[in-house]
Amino acid sequence: MSSPQTATTDAIGTPEAIHAAQARLHAASCARVTCAPVRDLLGEDTQEAAYAVQSLGIDRRVTAGARIVGRKVGLTSPAVQAQFGVSTPDYGVLLDDMIADDREPLDLGRFLQPRVEAEVAFVLGRDLDSPTTHVADVMRATEFVLPAIEVVDSRISGWDIRIADTIADNASSGAVVLGTTPHRLDGLDLAGVGMRLDRDGEPASTGAGSACLGSPVIAVAWLARAVARHGRPLRAGEVVLSGALGPMVAATPGHFHARLDGLGEVRTEFTGRAATTPAVDAPTTTDGGAA
Amino acid sequence: MTEDLAVEASAPPAPRTAPGRTARLAHALDEAQRRALPIARPSDDRPLDLDAAYEVQRALVSLRTARGERVVGVKLGFTSREKARQMGVDDVIIGSLTDAMRVVDGDAVPAGRGIHPRVEPEIAFLLGPGIADPDSEASAAIAAVAPALEVIDSRYRDFRFDLGDVIADDASASAFAIGPWRAADAAATLANRAVALELGGRQAQVGSTAAILGDPLRAIPAAQRLARRRGLELREGMVLLAGAATAAVPAPARGSVAAEVAGLGRVSVRVDEEETR
Repeated sequence: MSSPQTATTDAIGTPEAIHAAQARLHAASCARVTCAPVRDLLGEDTQEAAYAVQSLGIDRRVTAGARIVGRKVGLTSPAVQAQFGVSTPDYGVLLDDMIADDREPLDLGRFLQPRVEAEVAFVLGRDLDSPTTHVADVMRATEFVLPAIEVVDSRISGWDIRIADTIADNASSGAVVLGTTPHRLDGLDLAGVGMRLDRDGEPASTGAGSACLGSPVIAVAWLARAVARHGRPLRAGEVVLSGALGPMVAATPGHFHARLDGLGEVRTEFTGRAATTPAVDAPTTTDGGAA
Repeated sequence: MTEDLAVEASAPPAPRTAPGRTARLAHALDEAQRRALPIARPSDDRPLDLDAAYEVQRALVSLRTARGERVVGVKLGFTSREKARQMGVDDVIIGSLTDAMRVVDGDAVPAGRGIHPRVEPEIAFLLGPGIADPDSEASAAIAAVAPALEVIDSRYRDFRFDLGDVIADDASASAFAIGPWRAADAAATLANRAVALELGGRQAQVGSTAAILGDPLRAIPAAQRLARRRGLELREGMVLLAGAATAAVPAPARGSVAAEVAGLGRVSVRVDEEETR
C-alpha cells in the first residue's frame, strides 16, 4: 500500500475513521500547521467517506457561526483528473468567511500553502435542486456571472493529496475574491473566454473557459446534480465557483490580477507570509517546448 | 513592457565565429532536417553567442533558398514569458519560414516527416504595406490575421538546446498551416481569446492568446525590431507566426490536428500514415 501512515485496515472508512480524519484536518486548520494525509483512514479511492468528512467539517464551522454562501467545483481539468486517477470533478462548500472583495488585501498568514487560480463565479437566481439538472437549467437559473480569483489551500503537508484527501479537506478550499462586473449569460460564450492571470504585472498563468470541463456551465450542471443527490442542493443566491481556467500558481506576497475576456477583471494583493512556505510552482527545465 | 524587453544593442551583426564553423553547422543542420536524423548540439562543443547563432541560421536558410525554396515569412519563438523564463531568456527569437514548410489548411502531411515534431496553436499575421515603416501602428502593419498551426522540430537530440543552438536551428521551424484569413481589424480583439489544440478531435491543450507576449499584436513590433537587427527582410504579403498560445505537444502518428481560436476560426491538418520517407 502507498498509504503514508499505517492504520488498521479494518478501521478504514468506519464512522470512527471519518471522525478521526475530520479531527486531524480540524486540528491542522486551528493550529495552522499542515498534517499528514487522511487517506490512511478513508481509503484512497472511496469518495463517500471523504464527503462525510467534509460534511462533518462544514457542520462544525456552521455550528461555530459560519454561513454557507456557495460551493466550488474542483478537478475540472482532464489533466488534473488524470493526475488524481478520477474521471469526475469534486466539490466543496464556500462559507461566508472565505469571501473577499476585489482589491482587498489578503493576509497570507490565514493560509497554510496557498495557490491561486482564476475562475468564473456563477450567482444563482433560482434553486437548482434536481438530480437531473442540465446545462439549460443552469443557464436559466444563473442570475449573473463574475470573474473570480480562487485561493486554494491544503491542510495536507506538501499538497501530498489523493482524491480522498482533497474531498475530505473541503476540496482544498481557501478563499474567493469576487469581481464586481456582473454579466448575464445571454450572448456569452463561456468556453471561448480567454484567461490571463498576472503576478506583479508579469503573466503567471493563461487559460480558457474550455479548460473547465469544456465549459464552466457544464461544471455547474455536474455540481448541481451531485449535490442534489447528496441532499444539499444548490439554492438561489449561492455563489458557485466553477473550476480553474488555467494552471494554478503559488500565492506569494504581491499583486494578482486576473482578466477574463468579456467578463472583466479581478485583483487581490497578498500580504504577509503563509504559515507554510508554498512549493515552487513549476520545475525548471531545459526542454524547449515552445520555440 | 515586461514581455518585450529591448536588450539588443543597435550595432550591425558581425561574424563572431570562424566562417568554417558557421558553414559546417549550417550544413549539419540542413542534413539533419533532410534526413530526419538528429545531431549533437553546438553548445556541447562550444556555445554560440547570439550573433554567431544568427549567422548559422542565415547560412542554413541560404542552403534552402539555394535549392529553390522561397522565404515566405518569419516566426517568433519564446514569446511566452513562462517558456522564456524556463530557458533563462529575456528576449524573443526570430526564424525564417520557407514555402516548403507550408501545409495547406485541411491537407494531409505524411507521417514520419521530421525527427520529433511537436505541434502548437498560434496566431498568424499577413504583413501589409505598413510593415516597412518601423513607426507604423501594429494594426497598420498587417493586412489580415488567422489561426495557425505550427510544427516545430528540433534538429537536436532529445529536443534539448540552449538559446544559441535553437537560433542556429532556425528556431526549430519545420512546418505551418494557416486557417482562413480575417480582416486585420479582427486582431484588435485578440488579446485574450481561448485557444484550443485538438488531436484526433480531442482537446489536448487549452490556453489563451494572452500567452503570446501578453497580446499577439506585440509580435509585430518585436518582429520588426528583430528582423532589422538580424538582417531579415519583412515584406508585404509575408506571414508572421506570432508565437504559441499553449505548450507544444508531440505530433500524433496519424489523425487530425486542429487549432481553434475563439472568435477567429479554425485550422487543421491530417497526419497520414500511408506515406513514408
